[in-house]
Amino acid sequence: MRITAALATLAPDESIEFPRLQELLGMTAGNLSTHLRKLEDADYVTVAKTHRGRTPVTYLELSTRGRRAFEDYTEALRGLLGEHP
Amino acid sequence: MDENATTDAPLDPAGMLALVREQQRDIGLQLGGAVPFILLAWGVSWTIGFLSLWSVDGLANGLPLGAAIAVFVVLFVVAGAVSAFLGIRSGRGIRSSPDSAFTGTVYGVTWSIGFVGLTAIGVALIRWGLGDLANLYFASVYVFFCGIMYIVAAAIWHAIPALVAGCWLVLVAALAPFFGYPGNYLLLAVAGGGAFLVMSAAMFVARAVARRPHV
Repeated sequence: MRITAALATLAPDESIEFPRLQELLGMTAGNLSTHLRKLEDADYVTVAKTHRGRTPVTYLELSTRGRRAFEDYTEALRGLLGEHP
Repeated sequence: MDENATTDAPLDPAGMLALVREQQRDIGLQLGGAVPFILLAWGVSWTIGFLSLWSVDGLANGLPLGAAIAVFVVLFVVAGAVSAFLGIRSGRGIRSSPDSAFTGTVYGVTWSIGFVGLTAIGVALIRWGLGDLANLYFASVYVFFCGIMYIVAAAIWHAIPALVAGCWLVLVAALAPFFGYPGNYLLLAVAGGGAFLVMSAAMFVARAVARRPHV
């Protein structure tokens, strides 16, 4: 949920490199990797692997499905707690 | 969504919403961390720079003209470098679409184009007899241009603080020439540079408050 919330702060056309996301979340690489794989399997996160010279770079962003799921979920939470948009 | 909770015990709805908000606030603080420092750099640069220029004829023992200009230019360049460095650093690791990149690039380049163009016009005016009025021209047009660019940024990125700051700078720049020389420099130092210092201080305070743990 922390990861999804963090990725949701990016604009829809923005993606973030793995190390920067790790830095922002304060998680270990292994921990973040594990959670991201689950999110990717659920089709909530899009992973784009490219290269900068010889260094592999991984960019992450919420998929459209992931963003919608997050927005629906937070809206449902707000509804449950009696907050109105 | 529950599989990626990093706590062991499942949170109730209030806890989950708080977690989401806390995480997003934290990310926002981290990504926007450079802004108060950038404002501080410009605030110090303009306040000291314009006060130096004012002191030439505004104070009994003011700086000689050459020294005042040197102080202003050096501080301006340093603030610009700090701004650029911190700005680029805060966006590291984040990639946007070609459209966003185009917008950002055009906006960034316009700063340089504007300053060069305004300088060229000023130099031409001096050549055709502007004389001491150059003091009124250069100071005001540069600050005016900064104000317009802030307003444009507000329009593009929906940033209300930038809109307020931009309108204020335009107002100050437009009023300054009415004070004549050297009063225009004093106004620009206090109301221009001063405004940046106030905005910077306000942001530091707001961020310190936001960072306090929420119950």
